Amino acid sequence: MSLSDHARHNREAWTGWAPEYAEWAPGAWTREFSWGVWRVPESELHALPDVAGKDVIELGCGTAYISAGLARLGARPVGVDITPAQLETARAMQEQFGLEFPLLEASAEDVPLPDASFDVAVSEYGASIWCDPYRWILEAARLLRPGGELVFLVNGTIFMLCAQEEEVPPGRELLRDYFGMHRFEWPDSDGIEFHLPYGEMIRLLRASGFEVENLIEIQAPEDAEPHGYAALPTPEWGRRWPAEEIWRARKTG
Amino acid sequence: MSSSDAERNRAFWDQRASSYQETHREHIGGPEPCWGIWQLPESELQVLGDVAGKDVLELGCGAAQWSILLAAQGARCIGFDNSERQLDHARAAGADFPLVHGSAESLPFPDGSFDLVFCDHGALTFADPHLVVPEVARVLRGGGLFAFSITGSLAWICWDDESDGVVPALQSDYFGLRRHEDSDGSVTFQLPVGEWIRTFRRSGLEVEALLEPRPPEDATTTYGYDLAWARRWPLEQIWKVRKP
Repeated sequence: MSLSDHARHNREAWTGWAPEYAEWAPGAWTREFSWGVWRVPESELHALPDVAGKDVIELGCGTAYISAGLARLGARPVGVDITPAQLETARAMQEQFGLEFPLLEASAEDVPLPDASFDVAVSEYGASIWCDPYRWILEAARLLRPGGELVFLVNGTIFMLCAQEEEVPPGRELLRDYFGMHRFEWPDSDGIEFHLPYGEMIRLLRASGFEVENLIEIQAPEDAEPHGYAALPTPEWGRRWPAEEIWRARKTG
Repeated sequence: MSSSDAERNRAFWDQRASSYQETHREHIGGPEPCWGIWQLPESELQVLGDVAGKDVLELGCGAAQWSILLAAQGARCIGFDNSERQLDHARAAGADFPLVHGSAESLPFPDGSFDLVFCDHGALTFADPHLVVPEVARVLRGGGLFAFSITGSLAWICWDDESDGVVPALQSDYFGLRRHEDSDGSVTFQLPVGEWIRTFRRSGLEVEALLEPRPPEDATTTYGYDLAWARRWPLEQIWKVRKP
């Protein structure tokens, strides 16, 4: 397996962040299935198809709390992540909570699993932002069976335009161009992130064999609590503009 | 039947039609079909495809600049507009195909009448998309295309009333974007990107493309928009959706 430069880079960054995420993992593993920093429950957003009895792959699972939630909804999840330290936490959580499912160390841009082995592919702040969409979305298409569903959460497009270089929340100013947005590097962070314009994401999904089903732009709930991520929008910002968005697409055929 | 918004916009366009056509005649009246604020050629954007022999409905045709050019390419066009005064301009321009007066909220055509329904800053700006999209889905044939341009959602929320233009900063909310009463007397509509997708899907339409055209460095307009802004952020959206 040959890793892309950004994959190597992000594995190193995530190895550094892993201890902090290990501390949060028990809480994330035990709460109701919810999405993103506002923790909007799936029971309100309905972003997922029915996953009961389905083969589900989580691309960039980290500590695998999303896979754990999927397993509790009756799915057969497989968690894929590139960072061994994150998968160690995921295994410790599996043991602690008695919930076992396969975990695989791999880049979501190059997954060593056969074509058409899953009904659903999910990513929440995983491959969806840390992998190159021109690679991982094609991989998701390959891994899904015909009619399979792809659901992934990314940062809000408008947030990406307003995101500050420093580790502080966005303001209202548009700080960078929309046209050509793709790869993001930040002076205060080791990670390399990706984000595409709306129209380009639709084009890429179609070109990868998906029908676009939905784009859920998540509004911070009225009682949203501060989330502890210094560079992400405040609840007040997130009430007015989308901090996060969830794409849902169906593989044709 | 037409809503109070449709009546309000009819009055607006009846009153505005002549000065609008005079102001923009040269800009939007070129010899080949062009899109929107910067008049980007259809030959480059390739939105509509081959129209020869197709039944085509233009929703909010104004003086029918588009339909006249598509009819010359062999399309069987119908120009539809909410303003009788705009249709007068279409007649004066030599439109020799049916021109129908009405609101796009309720289309006076049978189910499955058209291969292509389109507009360029037309009915999808001045009528409620939640009413228009199901109507378009109804009058399209299976396999038919619905394509339209509108001002982009980001441009809407970056609109600054004081300077009467787009600025490089968020001015109003994205959530809840839908209906706007303009100070000029018109009512205009825009939706968040995700709500457009859901609106199409609810009517059984498949999302084929969202073009966010970037105007070239030497683009010009008579609509008063800031080219520097439009070179960095999407001032316009062109949706292409299809009835399966």
